[in-house]
Amino acid sequence: MKRHLVGTVAIAAATLLVLSGCAGGDSAGGEGAPIKIGSVNTISGPATFPEASKAAAAVFDAVNADGGVNGHKIEYKALDDKGDPATATASARELVGSDEVVALVGGASLLECEINQGYYTQESILSIPGIGVDTGCFNTPNIAPANVGPFNDMTLTLLYGSETLKLDNICVLLEIAGSTRPTYQAAIDRWTEITGKKPLYIDDTLPYGAPDYTPYIVKAKDAGCKALAVNPIEPDAIGQVKAANAQGWDDVTWLYLTSVYSDNFAKAISDAGAGIYVPAEFYPFTEANDITADWQSLMAENDIPLTAFSQGGYLAATYFIDVLKGIEGDITRESVTKALHEMAPIENPMSGTPWVFGTAETHADQVAGWPIKLTSGTNKWELSGDDWLRIPSN
Amino acid sequence: MLQGALAGLAAGGLYAVLAVCLTLMSRLVRVVNFAQAATGMFGGFVAVWFVSEIGLPIWLGALIGVLVGGALSALIGWIVATWLAEADTTTRSAMTVGPLLLLISLSFILFGNKPQPFDPIIAGPAFTIGGVVISQVTVATVTMAIVVAVLCKLVLSRTSVGTKLRALSERPTTAELIGIPSKPLAIAVWAVTGVISALVIIIVAPSQSNDATSLSMLIVPAAAAALLGGFRRLDLAVIGGLVLGVLSGLVAQIGEVSLIRNFLPFLFIVILLLWTQRKEVWDAAR
Repeated sequence: MKRHLVGTVAIAAATLLVLSGCAGGDSAGGEGAPIKIGSVNTISGPATFPEASKAAAAVFDAVNADGGVNGHKIEYKALDDKGDPATATASARELVGSDEVVALVGGASLLECEINQGYYTQESILSIPGIGVDTGCFNTPNIAPANVGPFNDMTLTLLYGSETLKLDNICVLLEIAGSTRPTYQAAIDRWTEITGKKPLYIDDTLPYGAPDYTPYIVKAKDAGCKALAVNPIEPDAIGQVKAANAQGWDDVTWLYLTSVYSDNFAKAISDAGAGIYVPAEFYPFTEANDITADWQSLMAENDIPLTAFSQGGYLAATYFIDVLKGIEGDITRESVTKALHEMAPIENPMSGTPWVFGTAETHADQVAGWPIKLTSGTNKWELSGDDWLRIPSN
Repeated sequence: MLQGALAGLAAGGLYAVLAVCLTLMSRLVRVVNFAQAATGMFGGFVAVWFVSEIGLPIWLGALIGVLVGGALSALIGWIVATWLAEADTTTRSAMTVGPLLLLISLSFILFGNKPQPFDPIIAGPAFTIGGVVISQVTVATVTMAIVVAVLCKLVLSRTSVGTKLRALSERPTTAELIGIPSKPLAIAVWAVTGVISALVIIIVAPSQSNDATSLSMLIVPAAAAALLGGFRRLDLAVIGGLVLGVLSGLVAQIGEVSLIRNFLPFLFIVILLLWTQRKEVWDAAR
């Protein structure tokens, strides 16, 4: 009995020692200690974004291969939140609380921003998602995504449709997840403010992953829509275009978002009506070019698919490395946060807007997309302009 | 309005075909087969793989896919007939949830979780009546639903195989004692419904969302449709499927109620159950 007690006490003491060691908060403070970085991602579940964190990891591996940042190697940990709020909460606490990461970089999650933004503020840690998906990525001081985001993208696609393609009678169809409805409304209102035009109607009842979108397409056709601005995930977009094909609606123009910009989508669509137009959030990668060459070769080396998501992850990691290299002294959460707050904007030709974290109350400053199009019978995305399309500042 | 209702017919025909398969399974082999749409989905994905990766012509790929769907279904049937021969309907049905989840996961592993580039076998509008477009897929699925139901009815009532199948479903032990081969017949029923499911899914998949989950989950509206016939009557299963499709087409046209479209199969099930149980007294119904 006594021996048991002694054993238990010894184990408890050892555990305490280990825990206190962990809580030293000495990440990268000392000589040669690693710099810990994390990200919360939706890698499994209903809609997945695996490429962003893979691309960020590839950037960090390349930096480590060159000897790290000021002699410190980077330890990158990307966790899967499974699209589940409870797991997203736990993942953030694991990274920020137990692993003591200095910042969150290169993630892409369906819901993580909205759920964890309060926690990040409370812990004074900054997050740079590769791809900001939900509303929460764009309305808080501690999160600044590398991408344009679906809301600014919606404004851009509407602008392109009404101003460049000169289309009237644009209808907006929305798939709403969580609390994104008001943010999409704000994006549409912004377009109305700039152009004085209004959508013919807004239908916000489109289900995610519906087997058949025909009824919604029929409704739009009957209402006299010339163009449809929609925010679907890729499989749903394919369903919508095919539903219009089946109805023989061949003069409709599709104004989609970057989520459909992939080879897979282009292969699946043979009949694109009057054309599918997308403001790509980063410089398009459909044709070989110098602007995306670095990213393309890194992705090819690591066998990561070429998508807008992997562009976002790559850019977030690249920006972050730039900021890290400018830090003098110890790299800790405090010094990283200070450096991000005081940084000068970084220009990258893959993005139409210079990226800066800074101390703004919200971060939705990425406002440029590169117009691309997919026309019937080509099965291939093409450039549809020779410059970035920007949301004019009011 | 009318255009909306008719637009739902394509989906309605699909639900009806799957509902007929479910009803057959329930009547003849005492199973509510939750993997009914999943085996079809997997067959469809195999077809796509053969067409896009190997370069087979679409008809040959589709044929292989349909056969794979039938074979998968037969395999599940063999498992049920071998190890769950004496089990009750509930146990046998619950077992089919396993293959449903397995097939979804397996298709993620083999084909990725992106929608597949299905080449359409049939596509485009068939004809237009007074401004209302009827798509070729609608014609195909509705025809298929009616033809399959009528054929099954004829086989069951006019052929000796049909008689044996009915005997097996009514009195399995007695039928076996008089020498009716239960296992081969049961597996044959599984295989046939597998083939039908795969065929209808390969027909509709190009014209709708075609990732593994949405295709496999077609089982929900199909089950709602089969419930109208109480999993016993083929004609009502067909009508149930068509009505459900038309309703969901209608509901999407009316702004005020379009939200319930997502829950429509569920509402359909609840209302049917309430209606069929209306005369039951609580104690007896438990």
